Formats: sequence, structure tokens, C-alpha cells
Amino acid sequence: MAHAELLTPTGLGDLPAALAGMTQRSRLLAGGTDLVNAMRRDECRPDLIVDLSGVRELAGVRREDGVLRVGAMTTFSQLQVDPVVRQYAACLAEAAAQVGSTQIRNIATIGGNVANASPCGDSIPALMALDACVTVLDGDGRTSSRPIRDVVVGPGATSLSTGEVIIDFTFAPLRPHERSVFVKIGSRSAVTVARLSAAVVVECNPAAGTLSAARVALGAVGDTAFRDAAVEASLEGRPANEATAQRFAEACANAVCASIPGRHSLPYKQHAAVGLAYDAWNGLAVSPTCEPVWD
Amino acid sequence: MRLTFTVNGRRRGIEVPATTRLIDVLRVHLGMTDTKEGCSEGECGACTVILDGKAVNSCLVLAPQVNGRDVLTVEGLAGDAELTVLQAKFIEHGAIQCGYCTPGMLMSAKALLLHDPDPSETEIRMALAGNICRCTGYTAIVEAVQDAARAGVEQNGPR
Repeated sequence: MAHAELLTPTGLGDLPAALAGMTQRSRLLAGGTDLVNAMRRDECRPDLIVDLSGVRELAGVRREDGVLRVGAMTTFSQLQVDPVVRQYAACLAEAAAQVGSTQIRNIATIGGNVANASPCGDSIPALMALDACVTVLDGDGRTSSRPIRDVVVGPGATSLSTGEVIIDFTFAPLRPHERSVFVKIGSRSAVTVARLSAAVVVECNPAAGTLSAARVALGAVGDTAFRDAAVEASLEGRPANEATAQRFAEACANAVCASIPGRHSLPYKQHAAVGLAYDAWNGLAVSPTCEPVWD
Repeated sequence: MRLTFTVNGRRRGIEVPATTRLIDVLRVHLGMTDTKEGCSEGECGACTVILDGKAVNSCLVLAPQVNGRDVLTVEGLAGDAELTVLQAKFIEHGAIQCGYCTPGMLMSAKALLLHDPDPSETEIRMALAGNICRCTGYTAIVEAVQDAARAGVEQNGPR
């Protein structure tokens, strides 16, 4: 692999100075599972690598002021077992558990997954369903926050400028009457790239016996993961019964059709969406009375 | 860059380009060729080593990421002494044929047993899901790990 200069800032305070030296050719090194492959294939030849492994503040999950803050350098292995994530953002823990192999999850990070912006990145639909915001730091030391949908803008493309880095993700922890799930279909059951994925958050209203709100994001279907209003409407205000599950599955299949018209994979994904929707529905396990049930 | 880290309990310091992969640090710069390179892209698991107690693909890790950290390779399991129970069980169960995947299989299994000395069969299969074997099939390998766990001596650290 071509040589590159290396900067390893040792804390958040040192990071902006390192970012300020980045050019369009420079790359951030998070877990490296995508970057090392890209460099080996000669798809990129960085002039400078800013290694984030020394910035300890970027790893870990914190709950503060009613907000969950997931550091960009948190690995998928950490996310899949983190008790706070499992309780308050189950879909993210489930997505993390389905990324690659143990070896990949031990080093790959959520920040890298989002910045790589693969259409089949598992964490992206989960973050969209959680309505997450992305905190970005630049070379002047300024931070800003933007919705995840404004960060992942195309296949392999983000709205991040040269010298900007994702430092964390923030979202509201799910409340006792909300449930979430992440499901995916790949070519095999483990260590697989998503052919189709979905993350769902629903809010239960036991007084009305209905699902009062829903956020649904689909992944690996089209250029980026996306929230779909029609799919969400298929759940909202509906009772938790088979008829709703069926409407939801139809809406998911329709969303797939609308997203990849004419694509060779459409006939497969259109049918797969129905099965995936039922997997999600069963995973949500909302009781018929929409009572809040925590595992 | 100056890379200083611990390999199999021994402190090493070498000068390498920052874009050097851990597998090349081990095989090329340190002459430790027991760790095998297979697919080179994190799919096959042949190059698995243990970094600070966790299994990683050494083909996907760059030198700066191991600076100051602790690496255990398959050479470090037995050292110059007799084979560990885990290694002996692989032989006993016929879990080795061509042997190319074996260093990676051993290190994934070792990482599992370090954290969970009594794993279920499902947990063993999940821990080995990132390691591909093209000859024996997986049954003998899973049985070897189960047997090693039963023997129970692998829980007492890396040696």
C-alpha cells in the first residue's frame, strides 16, 4: 500500500489541529475495516491518515439530560452488549449484533459505518428509526449537529466536508411504551451483507389499543437507507393485529418497488420485503392490547 | 512510524510505514509466519489474532491501531512448551486437515474461551462464524472447542 503521513491525536483537544491539516485525499482511520480494504485495492491513496484510536473521548455510550450519546468510536461489539443501548435503543443493539463477524464487530465502529455510507450499512437504518442526530467537529474546533438523513446523502457519499469528523450520535432513549427492532436479510444468516434491512420504532397507546406513532427506515434498497412515510402510516393509529401486520408488509413491498424501479433485484426484494416486514412485526412483539411490555 | 507493542508477552519496537497492516508487521517485519493470510479482506478469518483480549482480522488492522497494545498470536498459545489443551483437542478431534485455517480458528476459539469458559454450541458457532474452513467442515472444529471448554483449563489466561 502507498505510504501516508500519520497523525494520532491523543485527545479531543488535539483533534481539530489534526483535522485542519487534512486535504481531499486525507482519510480518517476509525476501525479501519473499510479503509484498509479500500487502500489495499488502491481505491484511495491518502496523503494523510488521522488515526482516531487515541481519542478516548469518542468511545462509549453515555446517558445525559434525557439524551443517549453514542461515541463515534464505539465498536459494534460494545454496542451489541451495552445494557443502556439494549434497553433504550434495542434496534441499534440488534443492528450492531448483525454486522459482519466477531472479528469485524470487535474493531469496526458506528462512526465509520455511517461515514462510509454504504447503502447496506446496518447502523444507518437503526439510527434513522431512532431519529438520531450526528454531531460533527471541524478543524476550527466547532461542533454542529445535523439529522442522520442529512449526513448520509448517497452511496458512499456524506455531507461531511474535508476536515470534518463525526464525534457522536444523539437521540432520545426509547420510553417504556415504545418498542424497536432491526431485521435484515442476507445471503446467509451470519457474517452477511444486507440485501434488505429494516429498523422500526413504534409507540404503543394502551388506552386506545393502537400503535400511536411509528418510524420505519429501510436499508439496502436504493442509494441510501430512508424513512418511508407510507410505511409508517400503515402502522400509525392501527391496532396490533394481523390485518395491520399485513398492511405493513404490503407497504414495505410498495416502498421497495418505488425505491428501485426496474432494478434486476426488484422481483426478489419486493417479495423479500414482505417476509422482512413479518420478521420485524414478530420481533416487535406488541401485545394485542398495545400494553407496554418490557423484556 | 515508531511502533511499540507487546506480542505474546514480549515488548517489541520497530519502525514501519503507518499504512503497514498488522499481518505484515507480524509476518514480514517480525518473521512470525504462523499467522496466515487468506482472503486479505476480512472474510475468511485465517489471519485472526487477539488484540487486547479480542479477536480481530490482522489483515484489516493498521500498525497505528496496535501501538501500545497487546497482541496474542497463535505462536503465543503454547510458546516453546507443549501444546495447549485447545490445540491438543483440535488434533484429537481431527479438526485439522490442510491446516491453513487452523491458526485463525484457534485464535477465535481462544478469544471466546477467554471471555466465556463454558460457551454453548451456538455461541461457539457464532464465535467461529468469521472463520472459513474449506476441508474438514465445521463439526470437528466445534467439537474440539467444546471439548477444550469442558477440559476447563483454557480459562486461566493466555498461557
